[in-house]
Amino acid sequence: MDRDLLKQCLACHGDSLFNKLRCEQTENPDFQTLVPELCKVTSESTGLEHGGPLVEQFIARKADILFCPTWKTTTPQEEEHEEEDEEAAEPYALMPPLELFMEVSYDERRSMLYRDLERGDMVVGRINNIREYGFFLTLLCMAGGLRRDIEDLELSALCHIREIPSTGNHDDPLSYYQVGDFIRAGVKDIDRYQEKITVSLQPASLSPSLGHIKLGVVTKEELPVHYRRSVRAASDCSETYECILMSCHGYHNPSVVDYLLEKVRISDTHPPSMMRGLQSKLFQPEDFASAIRKKQSASWALKCVRAGVDHFKHGRHVEAMNEYNKAMDIDTNNVEALVARGALYANKGGIVKAITDFEQALESCPDHRNAKKYLCQTLVERGKQLEEQEKLVTAEGLYRRALSLDDSNPEAQEALHKITDTIQKSIRLREEALAKEQAKPTSSKTSADKLRKILKEEKRMKKKRKRSASSSSSLSSTSSRNSSASSSTSSSRRRSKKKKKKQRRRSERGSKRHRRVSSSRRSEEGKSEKDGRKGQDEDEVEWYPAPPNTSATFLNQRGGPGKRKVSCSSADSEHSRKMSCPGSASKHLENRSKRNSVDGGRYEHRGREDIVEVVDVKRENQGSVEEDCGRADAGLGRRSESAGNHKEPTGATSAPGSKKHLPANLLNIFTQIAQFEKGKGVGPRK
Amino acid sequence: MRSVPVATACVLYHRFFEHVSMRAYEPYLVAMSCLYLAGKVEEQHIRARDIINVSHRYFNSGCTPLECDKEFWDLRDSVVQCELLILRQLNFHVSFEHPHKYVLHYLLSVKSLVNRHAWSRTPVAETSWALLRDCYHGDMCIRHTPQHIAIATLYLALNSYGVELPVGEKEWWQVLCEDATKADIDAVISDLLQLYDMDAKCI
Repeated sequence: MDRDLLKQCLACHGDSLFNKLRCEQTENPDFQTLVPELCKVTSESTGLEHGGPLVEQFIARKADILFCPTWKTTTPQEEEHEEEDEEAAEPYALMPPLELFMEVSYDERRSMLYRDLERGDMVVGRINNIREYGFFLTLLCMAGGLRRDIEDLELSALCHIREIPSTGNHDDPLSYYQVGDFIRAGVKDIDRYQEKITVSLQPASLSPSLGHIKLGVVTKEELPVHYRRSVRAASDCSETYECILMSCHGYHNPSVVDYLLEKVRISDTHPPSMMRGLQSKLFQPEDFASAIRKKQSASWALKCVRAGVDHFKHGRHVEAMNEYNKAMDIDTNNVEALVARGALYANKGGIVKAITDFEQALESCPDHRNAKKYLCQTLVERGKQLEEQEKLVTAEGLYRRALSLDDSNPEAQEALHKITDTIQKSIRLREEALAKEQAKPTSSKTSADKLRKILKEEKRMKKKRKRSASSSSSLSSTSSRNSSASSSTSSSRRRSKKKKKKQRRRSERGSKRHRRVSSSRRSEEGKSEKDGRKGQDEDEVEWYPAPPNTSATFLNQRGGPGKRKVSCSSADSEHSRKMSCPGSASKHLENRSKRNSVDGGRYEHRGREDIVEVVDVKRENQGSVEEDCGRADAGLGRRSESAGNHKEPTGATSAPGSKKHLPANLLNIFTQIAQFEKGKGVGPRK
Repeated sequence: MRSVPVATACVLYHRFFEHVSMRAYEPYLVAMSCLYLAGKVEEQHIRARDIINVSHRYFNSGCTPLECDKEFWDLRDSVVQCELLILRQLNFHVSFEHPHKYVLHYLLSVKSLVNRHAWSRTPVAETSWALLRDCYHGDMCIRHTPQHIAIATLYLALNSYGVELPVGEKEWWQVLCEDATKADIDAVISDLLQLYDMDAKCI
């Protein structure tokens, strides 16, 4: 208990409070130790009755709270001086001193000022006399924290010449000042007995919190706001405290309460209360809203994950994905949701996405068993993928990472061994090749041809390998239906070209996507027939697919062998790039795979099944916007088809008459597709 | 939740039951809606889910939070419906003047009357703020004007610590509010002290 405060209180209230206190606080050991001391104070007190017995009862009962040292949260701290000069910006109502309205007597106010004025305070006065040793001020008002009504107290203060900062070469600093100037000055010294005040214009004379304020001459407009208001109030008796308060801008500030709370240093987030039932120690931290919400969100998210797993088990992968995403929305960084989503991605071939999900899950929960296991498996899978693309070093890194998660993973160990061998082998091979090249430099033309051949071979090999890989991975019912449908179109096309028309009709009956494929295929055929070289050319083109997003290059490809070479290499590089990031590039792959399904045989098609699968999932996830796009696209295809049908009577193959119209149509379609693809690429990507 | 939204919620609640009987409506539901509405009025929005969660926790302490199922959504709907009911019942007058800003302005004015060392030693500000917040545990917040409540809390706080103010022709509270009388202040204080008695009896 705060001894001084209690003494002060008892000195005011006297005996009756003391008796009540002794009655109420019998169990308080703190109070019991203070009793003898307080006894003395009480006997000396005047015993003046201030509040009624009820108030005394209240004080006595709450004494342990009221006089508890921790009750006082504010620290005695010098308050910041706020700029008072701008009336428009005042954050709260700056009121004139209260004693102005209370009409406190002259003597009392004067003695109060001498009691409370301190060195470092700031005052404002008017010069009334200038002597050779300094000038005298008549004090008008206080500036800074303490606000008192002193204008009519006839206080005069001396500012010695030493206290006026000299301005360099000028000899007499006093010549700057004239009688009647308003001066802002800091209090340097007060003699309380002889009632003398000396002030200073040196900035050091102010207390540190006021240090930034410039001392010296001020204009009438710069006088403190409260002083101007008190002058107005003094001249007009009808101005009451309330009136002035209401007329202040600051009073109507909507955040005035928050501002002032900070100013008087009361915490509104842990507010004090004297209700014993509401002392904050009685509240458990887990009873607060944020804690409950967190718990609730977690359980809700888990529920979603459970539903998602259920969907997944029944093969409804899209619904499962939706549930997982919902769970993540509800509770970000939900580990279970992340792991489940990662597993789903891995199943669907989005290995990179799966890896990021697992990594994120492990980040927030490093000991998650399933996450570790799955991540390990996925890393090995990804490593194999990279290995196929000859990115041996990256693959090696992945295997190492997998092993760091799980030392005893036999698959990863084996793969790592294998890959280190291959890396060494390839380094040796490269060195040999380098040596060979140096030995017999050949002409650039033949080497380019060679390169092309090598690339062709490599690709073929890759596809073979991929095919075996994809056959091992499980296929979803939807995607397998899709891919088999599209592969059947292309394979049947290969079987015989005479059946082309039938095929076309069949494809018209098919799905939207299907139709799109067939239409583009058809138009391409028209093109190729126009060029007059069918079989051979197409077989070649099959291995050199064009860069997917530009229809122009595709058309150019037909132009001549020289150009084809260019597009071949670019397509190849693009191919490898895409393989390195199947997640983001799957959009382009879709286009490519579609075109490939046109050109290519069943062989290649099987190889791409896993990619198509990813694409399908993505497309279904992306919702209605794209569905619309697809519909528009399909509509276009239909239109071109009807155009084609219109020409049909002229001949079995496309007639010379259609030559002129078809390319225009084709270009139209291709640009549409290209735009669509581009739009998709920019669109939602997770 | 800050003091002013809490005050608004309390006033909403007491004004609502001024108009209707306590038996007609479930008071706890009304209280939840009042909190929700007050958050909106005072621009410190509180989510309905948090209100429901905390209330549920209060009535069934220690049990797990509500699942987000039909029961929860029904409860949420009824809170929102009740909010509309309150709005209609109060004719959409939902912004009130609170004593909080009076107390704070008065505090600053009174502060400059007192010696700064004496002031910094005495927790008048905390006490008056606590008293003011405690006022809202009863219906006195709608029976007295904000100014009177503000003056009474300040008066009681100063009185509790025996802080003496200079006396002029008028008492300080008369200056702060023209129509305040000693009787008014005493009435507020006795109401407040009764609340404390009630609190003591509850424990």
